Amino acid sequence: MRYAGHAVLAAVVLFLIGPFLVIAAAGLSAGDTLTFPPQGLSLKWITAVFGMENFRQSFVLSLWLAVGSTALALLFGVPAAYGLARYPVPGRDFMRSIVFTPVIVPGIIAGLALLRHAVIPLGLPVTTALILAHTVLVVPYAVRVVTASLEHLRTDVEEAAVILGATRTGTFFRVVLPNIRNGILAAFILGFVTSFNQVPVSLFLTGPGITTLPIDMLASMEFVYDPSIAALSALLALMSMAIVMIAEKMLGLSRYV
Amino acid sequence: MFEDRRIGIALAAPAVLFVMLAFLLPVGILLSGSVTTPGGWGISRFTTFFAEPLYQEVVWRTLRLGALVTLASAAIGYAAALAIVDTSPATKGRLVGLFILPLMISPVARTYAWIVILGRTGLVNQVVTGLGLSDEPLRLLFTETAVFIGLVQLFLPLMVLSLVSALENLPADVVPAARVLGANWIAVFFRVILPLTREGLVIGGTLVFTGAVTAYITPAVLGGSKVLMLETLLYQRVSVANDYVSASVIAVILIAMSVAANALLKRAAAARKR
Repeated sequence: MRYAGHAVLAAVVLFLIGPFLVIAAAGLSAGDTLTFPPQGLSLKWITAVFGMENFRQSFVLSLWLAVGSTALALLFGVPAAYGLARYPVPGRDFMRSIVFTPVIVPGIIAGLALLRHAVIPLGLPVTTALILAHTVLVVPYAVRVVTASLEHLRTDVEEAAVILGATRTGTFFRVVLPNIRNGILAAFILGFVTSFNQVPVSLFLTGPGITTLPIDMLASMEFVYDPSIAALSALLALMSMAIVMIAEKMLGLSRYV
Repeated sequence: MFEDRRIGIALAAPAVLFVMLAFLLPVGILLSGSVTTPGGWGISRFTTFFAEPLYQEVVWRTLRLGALVTLASAAIGYAAALAIVDTSPATKGRLVGLFILPLMISPVARTYAWIVILGRTGLVNQVVTGLGLSDEPLRLLFTETAVFIGLVQLFLPLMVLSLVSALENLPADVVPAARVLGANWIAVFFRVILPLTREGLVIGGTLVFTGAVTAYITPAVLGGSKVLMLETLLYQRVSVANDYVSASVIAVILIAMSVAANALLKRAAAARKR
């Protein structure tokens, strides 16, 4: 029974991880068409990807978008999590459910709605639209993770600080914030990954010339048959792995997922 | 010190207002398009939508794939989760990490791997033609099977992680007790393990089902225009035909599926607290 279990587990792990090995091998191909097994190994396509202007531009946009929208989401999310966790706000559950609605509504609908009923009528530029959409998407994660971390912080340390003469604002910045720092960092990493990998929300909001990396890759798949997208996919997987491993070592990220 | 509710409201207001204005308002206007008819209000948009055989097929396929992916994930998930909780704590931690990791990797990269595996010159076809099983490469991409495989690979970790945490809460002696009392492994699974981990199964199943029916990347890349699901149909209707009416109807269907699944999740979570 136990051996059967281990065999099944090995098969499942192979099914889950195997495709990454395949794509890494395909990306390391020395040939000019996408095949597996690759026609010889080389770093040709890995280096070629760095020189491709369109991917470089969309990578930079995705990076700024992920950093900017996560930072904005935390500016909205941290005070909201704190206010709702500590104060007897009337309709607290209702407010929480409003903040969590972006998780329930499929991203493609959010993107289309924003395009048709906000971006076009108000004449917003593409980058503003993307920032808005990604921030909305990350706010629920920010509130959830920061709330979880506030629940572990006893309120009497804050009371002690106030009794000893600190202001409320001072208490928040000098007592609360240092204590929930790991939660905020975890929320930042989760938000960054969510935004960086996001496709459906951005689908209708990107324009020609201004596009995010995953959407650029999707569009390129239709006419690119060389190993460049495989090489890029392998690099992205490697980047995510590095982020997750560092985060796990530093913060124990898996507690917040 | 936390009695002043006005401070709490002031702290929460920006986030709540932001989500309402930048999200709920536009989504609400979009959804209202599905019940607005030339003569006022009504459900005629829905009846027109469901009268179209292609759209019926897409709705049916989306539900079918959602159900099949959930079932397959549950079956594979139990086998994997049972084997994981059986290992030492250190190994278990590493294995759980192995299931979290793919969730952080770009779904575009994860889906593209299947093109390399299932494509005309991909792994499977190299093996098939190499062994002389077929002269022509098999057409594996742009089939429902390809979408099914891609979706299972994408969402299986969510099921495994839910089941692992449910199995961890299973009292250690119930399985040996059932065995001593004469139950075989099949009876142990269906009459002891399954009922006691039902909530984990519901939570994992809801996440997988919602993820599968609202997936865009997998059907777009592995299904193309031959195997449309609701999200790819929505995209196609808007980008090819500017058909915002069908888009709003699809949006209502998708949100209804998502809300129904989340209501189920809430009930399972409430049952756990009791």
